[in-house]
Formats: sequence, structure tokens, C-alpha cells
Amino acid sequence: MAITPMEIYKLLPKTNCKKCGEQTCMSFAFKLVNRERKLEECTPLFEEEKYARQREKLIEYLKPLEEATETGLIVKEELCVGCGNCVVVCPVHVEKDPYGCGSGLAPKTDKLILKVENGVVHVLDMDMCRRYGKNRVLCVVCRENCPTDAISFLEG
Amino acid sequence: MMRFTKFLKVEVDVVVARNAFIPDNKSSKEYLENVAIAFMQEEFAKVNGFKENDVIKITSKGRSVNLKVKISDIAHEKGILIPNGIYASYLTSFDGFKRFKAEIELADGEITKPEEIIEKLKG
Amino acid sequence: MSGNTEYYTCAGCSCLCDDIEIDLDGENAKTVKTACRRGSNIFLEYKENRAEPAIEGRKVEFEEAIKKAQELIEKSKSLAIYGMDTIPIEAQKVAIELAEGKEAYIDNSSSYCLGDFVEMVLKKELPTATFDDVKDYAYVIFYWGVDPHNSLPRHMSRYTYYPRGKKRQRGYEEDRYLVVADIRKSHTAMLVAKNARFIQVDDDLKLVDAFIKVIDKQMPEKYADDAVRVIREMQKADFNVIMGGLGLRYGLKGNYEKFKEMINKMNEVAKVYFIPAGCHANMRGFNEVLFEKTGFVNKYSFKDGESSLDYAFFELLKNDKVDTTLIIGSDPVNSLPFEISKKLAKINTIVVDPRKSFTTQIAKVVIPSAISGVEQGGTMIRSDGVRVKVNSLFEREINDVYVLERLKEVVA
Ligand code: SF4
Ligand code: SF4
Ligand code: SF4
Ligand code: SF4
Repeated sequence: MAITPMEIYKLLPKTNCKKCGEQTCMSFAFKLVNRERKLEECTPLFEEEKYARQREKLIEYLKPLEEATETGLIVKEELCVGCGNCVVVCPVHVEKDPYGCGSGLAPKTDKLILKVENGVVHVLDMDMCRRYGKNRVLCVVCRENCPTDAISFLEG
Repeated sequence: MMRFTKFLKVEVDVVVARNAFIPDNKSSKEYLENVAIAFMQEEFAKVNGFKENDVIKITSKGRSVNLKVKISDIAHEKGILIPNGIYASYLTSFDGFKRFKAEIELADGEITKPEEIIEKLKG
Repeated sequence: MSGNTEYYTCAGCSCLCDDIEIDLDGENAKTVKTACRRGSNIFLEYKENRAEPAIEGRKVEFEEAIKKAQELIEKSKSLAIYGMDTIPIEAQKVAIELAEGKEAYIDNSSSYCLGDFVEMVLKKELPTATFDDVKDYAYVIFYWGVDPHNSLPRHMSRYTYYPRGKKRQRGYEEDRYLVVADIRKSHTAMLVAKNARFIQVDDDLKLVDAFIKVIDKQMPEKYADDAVRVIREMQKADFNVIMGGLGLRYGLKGNYEKFKEMINKMNEVAKVYFIPAGCHANMRGFNEVLFEKTGFVNKYSFKDGESSLDYAFFELLKNDKVDTTLIIGSDPVNSLPFEISKKLAKINTIVVDPRKSFTTQIAKVVIPSAISGVEQGGTMIRSDGVRVKVNSLFEREINDVYVLERLKEVVA
């Protein structure tokens, strides 16, 4: 399930008190999704008892953030059949390994983002993903071609 | 709580299809976990009073097996999908090999074990 | 990875992927690279669930099981040999020789699977192509009555829709057009997105008819929009391919003439090839080997010198036509209807299989053999007809060729 700033915002105190260092609760919510901020930085949420329920809900809601990779990509091995669709379609793979992955064959390099090993997909190097770094784009190609939803992204 | 559907039998279309999670090793846990399943769509389950992990009894031409319900869009709208394997084979006959009609209802018992079918074969 | 990586062959399905890397730890496969879940499992767990030589459920010495099987074959008056879908053609040939010597029936799963399509292809009644060409040139990739994501997991990523090829450099979204026809929204159908079409068919014959009518500029009863769109896409390229599976086979209800007419018609306005999409690793291999020898692909009787539905394995059992059966590398109890399997428990059933199966549990004699791709190599024929040299992890002395040669001693 995707984690959206809007859903987070709904559970924050919505007072725009700026204690977290952000101008608004909404921008704090955005930073949370990008993991540039931690929930604990919203001190009122933890100090004031009236927010207890919201706090619990938020902690639960944000749990997948900890399991996700830098780019927010989550792989659920138990749902993967190892078809290799994601490995073959990834535009970075096509560029770096045109005659291996890009041609549907065994990879000819280890400098890859995803790799099928023992029948399920594994993350090798997330730094290469187009969702990462300065010029990031919201690439969803791998996820779109996984029909069993073994790949998902935090932000949807 | 007793559910009303306990007494209801629903006639459905059964489709048999291969499943990538089923390994060659038929004594393995994975085999049983992935083969003893009846897939159905969420809407179909809701309308007929089934939910995920219910055990249902599927009867066709006098033979029945108990399988576990799994909600999935890979089933067709008006029925269930059973993976290729011993359960599907037990229910089928050659005039409806990969697609046949059956009745389904909530079951009291456990999932049918392959050994029970083997015993019937020998018997 | 480097130039001298050794690649092994997976015989888990008819994709016969020959780019599998394996890290060994002694005799155990530690890491299996690039194979799908099913394929990896075959290597990782090859030591588990192995068949043991047995007579009527009692464990015996290998030699004793062979002797018993020979004895049953020897005194059989009507023998059927079945399976062979997962063994190399070198072993299939020995089984066929045994059938010939015993004037037995011989058949494989293709008689209820895709044998009819393979036959049409071998007789050149349907134009066909190889995966290498599909990868390099195909535009419309049409899966009809088959869900490759589940039955042939790497089919789309290795051979058809996803890989880049010579004339298809720009990737699937621009360079390919995916069509999936099925009665339900299979996992493969879920991949239908941009530049693609899902046709939910409840009557395959009507879809066949729709294509014919649309090409003849008539109004079909159903699927008019689908047919018009798919034909229009096919006309955009000089290479398109239809891959037909079990759903199509049963959907046609035996009306193959109509299907051939459709393919011919399509070829009047576009270029369209057909490839059968069956699952078993070497089902097609058996069909081709038998075809070379007899002119028929399956359900053959050496006594009568012809093929007939009456000689299909399940028909023979149904009508109590055999007293003994030799089943090699196949688990009919898992895949054939109960009424048929029940008969197997009554007659002399000999099973040659590397693994325990449901059929070994009801067999009179069990003879263990080797797992293709793990313990025995040889040649297999991929679903597109290309011969693949199976590079196996090890070579065991006791393999299917050995076991079948031993059983063949009966007719020597
Ligand atoms: S500290 Fe919490 S309540 Fe205050 S602005 Fe930040 S997010 Fe909103
Ligand atoms: S998000 Fe894009 S770049 Fe990143 S792994 Fe997936 S396909 Fe590759
Ligand atoms: S994550 Fe999905 S697309 Fe990738 S190999 Fe696994 S099943 Fe295939
Ligand atoms: S697709 Fe088939 S041949 Fe290829 S690795 Fe998977 S099971 Fe083996």
C-alpha cells in the first residue's frame, strides 16, 4: 500500500506550530515520505496525550518506511515468481546491460538494481535506480510489469 | 457465530489453471500451501458469504474436496479457480477437463489431504 | 558473468532456459541465478523427495525393481507407455523402440494438451517461427488461452514481449503490441497496459469467427472491436505471432479447420505465425521424435501401425484396454481425472521417475531415475521447435536412457 503525504497530514496535529522545523504540517508530511524527517521530530504529537491515538495510527502507517529501500521500493519475495519482467524492463538495466538483461538473458554484469536469485528478485544497488539522487524521476516501470504485486513503492 | 451461508450451496463454474508457486516437490509444504486453494474474486466472495481463509467444500459429480479460499482477481467473475494438481484432477472428468461446474459451500472440516485421495484411488 | 561463465539448462518448463548460473557447495546448489521460482527450486531441492526402488510399496534393491518391471513387461499382452515429457529425446527414442518391440501403445500428455497444434505445425499446416525471430522482429505478441506468467514464467521476459531485439530496440511499449485472450483476467492479462489489448473470451470459436469476418469485411456476431483493432495492429508490421495454449485448444472444441482458415486469412492481410505454448519441458520433443518415425505425434499403436483417439492413454485406461503401463517422468494421478487414475491403481503400473509423486504411491513397481538438467543432459525440443542441448549440473550413470535400455532388454 502506498504511503501518501495526505494520509499522514490527516493524522498530524495540523496546528502548523513549526516545532518540527517545517513551516506547515503538510510540508512535514512530505518530508516524512521522503524520509528527510523522522516522526519523532513532531514533538507535540508525542508530548500531548490528546494525540495518543493519532500517534499510534501514524506509527503503524509509517512502518513500511523502515523496510523500504532508499528509493521507496519494496520487494515482497513471497509474492515473486522470478519471471524476470522487472529485471528486463528496467531502463537502467537496458542501458547498462543491453546484451544481458536488456535482451532477456542472464545479466552480464553485477552492476544492477535488481537481480533474480534462487527464484526471487533481490535488490542489489538501489543507488542506480532512477528514483534516486538529484535528477530523480518517478519511474514505475518495474512495478507496472509485475502482475503479482511483488514490487511496490511507498509513494504509490 | 453461525453464518447463514453454512446451509447454502452455490453452483459455480470452476476453471483449472497452472500456478507458478507450485513446486515439483509434491511432498513439500509449498506444494500443499499453493495447490489446496480456491481462488475467488472479492465481489463474488462477498455476495456468497465467503472470506479469505475460509475452508469450502467443492462438490462435482458426487466427489468433494475441501480447499481454502483465497481472494484474487485471477479468478473469473462467476466462479472459482483451482490450480492444476491432484484436487482439480479429483474433481474433473474428461468432458470438462479444465472447466466444469461444481457446487460450493462452507465446510466444517479441514482441508482435504492428498493422502485421502490416494486412499480412495486404491480403494 | 565473465566470458567463461558456465551456464546450465533448466528443464522446468518448455522455455528450457539455458542461461542459468549455479554456485555449488559440494554437491548442493547454493545459489541459482536467473532461473524463475520453479526452475530454481528444481536445482535447490533436487535431493529432496526422491523416489526409491520399490515393489508394491516395499523398498527393494534397484536391480530387483528392474527385474520385476522386465517381468511385468515381458508377460504383458497389452502394454501402454506414457509420459516422457520431461526426459531428453535420447531416452524418448529408447522408449519408442521398446514400444515398437512390444507392439505397444505409446502416448504422452500432448494428446490432451497441445499435440494437435504441434502436429499442424510439423505438417506445415500452420506457419511457425522461432523465439529468436520473435524477439528480433515480432510486433503483435498474442497469447491465446495461455497464462505464461504462471505456466512458462520467463516466456515473456526472455523470448517475446519484453526483451529488446534487432528490429525491436525501443522496448515493449513502443515496439510491441500485446494481446491476451482468456476467459479470466490472468496474471498475464494484468500486464495489458498501453499499446495492448485484453480480450475476455467466453467463446473462442466466436473470436476465431470474428477475425475471419473482419478480414472478409463482414460484421461478426461478437468481438468486432477486438478483431478490428488486432488486425489493424498486425498490418503495421511484417511479423506477428500467436501463441496458443490449453485454453485455445479446448475452446476450439476440435474445429481446427476453422482455426487454420483464420490463420490463413490473417496471412492474406498481414504476416502471422503460430507457436504452441505447452508447458512440459520436452513434450514437443516426444511429438517430433515419434513423428519422424511414424508420421504421427502421439496416441500411437505399434500393433495397428496408426494413431487414433482410441489409443490415447486415457482412452485406453477408460476402456480397460491395457494390462500394464510404463509411465516415465510423469505424474498422471496429479493431472488426469480421478476415474482414469483409479484404473492405474488396478493394473500393473510401472513408474520410472526421479521423484516421489502421487503415481509412485499407487504403482506396482517404482524405478528411480535422474532429474533432467540436474543429473542428466541430452537434447530437448523447446516449444518453438528449436533443439536445445541440455547442459546439466551433473551426469549420473543411472538415468532414463540407462533404465529404459534395461527394460528394452525384454524385446532384444
Ligand atoms: S511539529 Fe507537528 S504539529 Fe507542529 S508543525 Fe510540525 S508537524 Fe505540525
Ligand atoms: S523504478 Fe525504474 S529505475 Fe528503479 S528499479 Fe524500477 S524500473 Fe529500474
Ligand atoms: S518482482 Fe514481479 S516482475 Fe520481478 S521477477 Fe518477481 S514476479 Fe517477476
Ligand atoms: S521459465 Fe521454465 S525453463 Fe526457464 S527457469 Fe523457469 S521453469 Fe526453468
